Amino acid sequence: MLQLEPQNLLIEETFASALSPNYEFPSLDRILTDFDFTTYRISTPEDKGKILLSIGIKCWSDLAKYGSLELLKEKYGHYSFIQILSEGSCEPGYDVSLYIDINNCTLNNIEKAELVCQLSLLKRNCFAAPFLKAFKRYEVLSRENPADPNNIYGEDSVAATNNNEEVLKLDYRGEESIFIKPSNDRVTVIFSTVFNDETDKIFSKIFLQEFSDARKRSIQKAPQVINSHKDVPLEIQHIEKPTGEKTYITFVLFPRHLNTEDAKWNTITHIQMFRSYFHYHIKIVKCYLHQRMRYRVQSFTKILNRAKREVDEAELRSERKTASGRRFEVR
Amino acid sequence: MSSINTPAVVMDNGTGFTKLGFAGNDSPSWVFPTAIATRNSNSSSTTNTSSILNKSSDLSSINSPYTSSDTSFLNRNKISNNSIHGNREMSDLDFYIGDLAIDASKGPSYSLNYPIKHGQIENWDQMERFWENSIFKYLKCQPEDHYFLLTEPPLNPPENRENTAEIMFESFNCAGLYIAVQAVLALAASWTSSKVIDRSLTGTVIDSGDGVTHVIPVAEGYVIGSAIKNIPIAGRDITSFIQTLLRERGELDSSLKTAEEIKQKFCYVCPDIVKEFRKFDNDSEMFAKYIVETVSHRKVEIDIGYERFLAPEIFFNPEIASSDFLTPLPIIVDQVIQASPIDVRKNLYKNIVLSGGSTMFKDFGRRLQRDLKTIVNERVEASERLSGSKSSGVQVQVISHKRQRNAVWFGGSLMAQTSEFRSYCHTKRDYDEYGPNIVRNFSLFSVP
Ligand SMILES: Nc1ncnc2c1ncn2[C@@H]1O[C@H](COP(=O)(O)OP(=O)(O)OP(=O)(O)O)[C@@H](O)[C@H]1O
Ligand SMILES: [Mg+2]
Repeated sequence: MLQLEPQNLLIEETFASALSPNYEFPSLDRILTDFDFTTYRISTPEDKGKILLSIGIKCWSDLAKYGSLELLKEKYGHYSFIQILSEGSCEPGYDVSLYIDINNCTLNNIEKAELVCQLSLLKRNCFAAPFLKAFKRYEVLSRENPADPNNIYGEDSVAATNNNEEVLKLDYRGEESIFIKPSNDRVTVIFSTVFNDETDKIFSKIFLQEFSDARKRSIQKAPQVINSHKDVPLEIQHIEKPTGEKTYITFVLFPRHLNTEDAKWNTITHIQMFRSYFHYHIKIVKCYLHQRMRYRVQSFTKILNRAKREVDEAELRSERKTASGRRFEVR
Repeated sequence: MSSINTPAVVMDNGTGFTKLGFAGNDSPSWVFPTAIATRNSNSSSTTNTSSILNKSSDLSSINSPYTSSDTSFLNRNKISNNSIHGNREMSDLDFYIGDLAIDASKGPSYSLNYPIKHGQIENWDQMERFWENSIFKYLKCQPEDHYFLLTEPPLNPPENRENTAEIMFESFNCAGLYIAVQAVLALAASWTSSKVIDRSLTGTVIDSGDGVTHVIPVAEGYVIGSAIKNIPIAGRDITSFIQTLLRERGELDSSLKTAEEIKQKFCYVCPDIVKEFRKFDNDSEMFAKYIVETVSHRKVEIDIGYERFLAPEIFFNPEIASSDFLTPLPIIVDQVIQASPIDVRKNLYKNIVLSGGSTMFKDFGRRLQRDLKTIVNERVEASERLSGSKSSGVQVQVISHKRQRNAVWFGGSLMAQTSEFRSYCHTKRDYDEYGPNIVRNFSLFSVP
């Protein structure tokens, strides 16, 4: 259970059954969540054959600024039976709604599977826009000012020219943000995260250290990970005030993470899950420790029990006292 | 707090099935077996894992962006983790829950465990991992951002509550926690029935799930612990009874799954067995046929006979299936109410609420009400005869409703949706301040 799947299993299940040939059209109305205060509502407001899927995202205003709506139109707009509702027309309390008319769906099975997959990835698709925008900008920059081909890992490139490039910022959890900065030879993604729990803070340090160490040791194709506690990374110092509370995790995406369409989407899929994944693993570590602790306690208890002296009947009788403290007479 | 507007998570972990979902919904998002498949320590192959993974994402494997594995971060993490800790240490992450667990355990390398026995959590290691997976994989939420409502069986030892709180607060840092007694939630769920006029938390709950059947009197939200009775007959016993009948008759397929399906689709409670037998013998229409598809895709036809009404009948005539427990359910219910304080008895008779999967049989409530009425009327007549005065009579009413199957979960969803819910929870901060024993007490919901 190492992985967290990027798709929402319940949406996947709902639509997989809704699009299957012998669907019974129940009336639906349910709320579900998908990390970082994202909520969905699946309902059938008018007709049981028309499913309204609404999504509410905390940082929707940021996403909209970077073109999420356009991306959603591109992803879902070509299905004739899906209506994309936004702003005024979408469900109140949510940011975007997809109105899917199951009855008029004329897809074959492969296309259906693809649609179900895309619907279950709705959150990822919303979050993809700013990344794609940054990747595009990177392509422009790298054409204008090609990176030094000899510097494969790009570790020491000073990219001084890129310093006034716009940083894309998503306040995806209110006080925690994602920053994306394109430059001519890389795209830098910075997460800021806050731990409310002291124990978690310590686990996170070890965990993050492991992240960068593992890369050095064996897996050089991974993006470089730099983490800093308290200090604001150089790239975002002009827009982020130091608070002394936040942990910053920087991912450096190199051209090989961005060169093909597949690689791009793969990168986006995984990087937008990073925080959830990170927190998930801290929890897993704690569960594991608790398991070990229980095991230890159990084995200690066993030892203690073994150390107990067998008390025989006669001794017990001589030990017995009355309420006032007098001993029973030993017969 | 940051979790102001998120819906509360409602989890009802039963012996047989776990119900998961969010407050405000009218049905749980997930219902799956409370089962966890863990890797056997001696087997080392990983082939099985991948085959199940593939299976679970069958649908999405076409053109899906998240199954291309060559450059995935996740794979990298997998490798990195393995190289750091070695394979042996990772075995704690190699598990499945729910239906996937049952599939996985069919292979040689996983063993199936049920961490809850008789409604109480027995194996905390497994339960912790079960919750971890439920929250992150199925509910997809960060526990920090949500309040949680969990359920417990009646007479759950306070130590169990503390252990639960320890896991919820220390492992998961959940924002707030409320642990409710299942019977009280089942009462709240009955408010949806049109027969219930006043929304009181007084009544007798018959909660029959997979492992045990509880009869629980509740007065104004408090469980009358001394009067609770358990019946060792529940869903599992009925299924195995059907299975025995199928075997004895030599049907071609008598697997547990088939028996389970026959139970859910064909069984009902009859008013009188002798008449029912006669009805079956006179009318061959009553016998049903059920078609099973076997593993090898062969279709097998199975005849279904008397088990249609005999199986649920063991609640009312236990002697047909068991030899050590012989008291019929209506008598138990009567005993329970008679053991409760005299001033609530009338209300306990008036509001008998059904909950749990095994009360789903057609006409279960009707039969119970009839039998119980007979018992009560006899008593009333006897006392009238003895005292010579006229009694005002006792109203007996058994309430069935649409949400019966997941009544406990639904009641939880109703409760957790109210605006006061959070003020009844213990928060992470309380826990850090006072320690696990704060969860020994939860204040009751005031009835809106
Ligand atoms: N329609 C139905 N008719 C008869 N039995 C059913 C039906 N649906 C489910 N069941 C049975 O109900 C049982 C599960 O009920 P439920 O989910 O209430 O139990 P649980 O909460 O897991 O157990 P418990 O409350 O004892 O801890 C299973 O044995 C299942 O076979
Ligand atoms: Mg139950």
